[in-house]
Amino acid sequence: MSAVYLWLCERAGIDKIWETLFARKVPHAKGPAAWLYTLGSATLMIFTIQFITGALLAMSYAPSPDHAYDSVRFIDDHVLLGRLVHGLHHWGATFMVVLTALHMMRTYFMGAYKYPRELTWMVGVGLFLLVLGFSFTGYLLPWDQKAYWATVVGGNIAGQTPVFGPYISKIRLGGEDMGAATLTRFYAIHVLVLPALIAGAIGVHLFLVIWNGISETPKRAGKQVAP
Amino acid sequence: MNWHEEYRKKYKELKEKGVPFFPDVVLLDTIAACLVFALLVYLAAFHPPHLEGLADPTDTNYTPRPEWYFLFLFQALKFFPGSMEAVAAIILPGALLGVLFLVPFLDRGPERHPFDRPLWTGLGIFGLCVYAGLTWAASKSPLANPAEEKRPDVIAGKRLYAQLSCAYCHQIKNEGGRVGPALDRLSDATTDEWLSKHLRDPQAGTPGSRMPKMNLLDDEVSALTAYIRSYNPNDPFTPAAPKLFAENCSACHRIRGEGGDLAPDLSEIGAMRDKAHIQKYIQDPAQFNPDSTMPAYKGQLKDHEIEDLSRYLARQRRR
Repeated sequence: MSAVYLWLCERAGIDKIWETLFARKVPHAKGPAAWLYTLGSATLMIFTIQFITGALLAMSYAPSPDHAYDSVRFIDDHVLLGRLVHGLHHWGATFMVVLTALHMMRTYFMGAYKYPRELTWMVGVGLFLLVLGFSFTGYLLPWDQKAYWATVVGGNIAGQTPVFGPYISKIRLGGEDMGAATLTRFYAIHVLVLPALIAGAIGVHLFLVIWNGISETPKRAGKQVAP
Repeated sequence: MNWHEEYRKKYKELKEKGVPFFPDVVLLDTIAACLVFALLVYLAAFHPPHLEGLADPTDTNYTPRPEWYFLFLFQALKFFPGSMEAVAAIILPGALLGVLFLVPFLDRGPERHPFDRPLWTGLGIFGLCVYAGLTWAASKSPLANPAEEKRPDVIAGKRLYAQLSCAYCHQIKNEGGRVGPALDRLSDATTDEWLSKHLRDPQAGTPGSRMPKMNLLDDEVSALTAYIRSYNPNDPFTPAAPKLFAENCSACHRIRGEGGDLAPDLSEIGAMRDKAHIQKYIQDPAQFNPDSTMPAYKGQLKDHEIEDLSRYLARQRRR
């Protein structure tokens, strides 16, 4: 065992990786406040669930207006544990939005976005937007009444943008009106474009969290420096 | 920015006095993740996602509702009607997002405790209150599309009805041709057996019928039958049902001239709503219309009485 461990240390530096990621010290958060620091990792856990359940759903989903609805019914009624996997993905989407928002509120009210963590915060706001993008594009995929009409309204809202509105809605819908091109476009964005973007952004976000260290719980300090 | 150096120094001290990420922090993270995961599995298992009917681009009566966390935006739109819509839809949210993105450069002092930053803490709380208020106001507005689980065979029948162009000759809800009879007001004598037989071979049961034989599969016949039946409920109600109506409903509702006029006339309710919807509405009107002054009858009437009453009301329509 230890021979394998040493072999890996020498070639992949797993001891250094362990030291950097897990053996590092962080400021001691006392009492209930410590629980507020678990929101980020809980979000990451749900993201992993979304990734796995999303991959499973994609195996039986057909992104065309003729078959999308039936394929979702097929998943619910005939695929082994399909209804549960669909349910996990459906509720996971809500959890992503809620947990990301709570995590942001923690950061905001603790002033944790201040020096030297400004960049972590800005990447975080970007991550929040990506999560909303996932939610919006994913909502259309079941191709039921709710999905269709909410997306029509969402499209009209985006079309209201001054100057660029008409171009935005044309690119988004894949034409003048909603139809087959919209569904395939949303599907491609949902399963290819956004995951690539969010994976990169999560990487940067986590790197910055470790690079700058986890912020301390703020104390009342008047005009003195916070810690 | 002289406090930066000082902050780094103090943070370094705090970190040295701190705890190792593993296992101290990882333990808490794992507990929290397990709790969140348990809640997720509970919701997924016991509140599975609800699939509505197939998207119907021609259904202009459908009132869209977004996920609850986007409801505030729908509500905000109501305050900026007409050409001002862009303000609520794009400009305000965009500006807010810009501020959020640039907060580290707007609030750049050394203070971190929320009470030491009254302006930013206040703005944050104000923003959350506005969000909660808008979401609450939006959730109060009536649900124009009550969440109803449509039966899969009815949905399948509706699609077949469109694919086979039945509306070329038949009418449903006053839409369609007049060659054949309207299918949403069939006589009570029409049984499912008769419908299936007629769909399989129109001329066999009705000699001289101009309806073509379509060589349908068995499940297509039953889907079409279920779809036509959804417009022609034939669940029997007991003679007690009209009495129940007279005792509990007719003070406000009217059927064919009999009853009060405080609430909508129900003479045609069967053409608008199916039995399942009427039943849910009688049990608790507030779930469809929070502003309704109608009392909830769940508990007031026995379940079988509500069932009976709903069957009776679902049959109220012009033929």
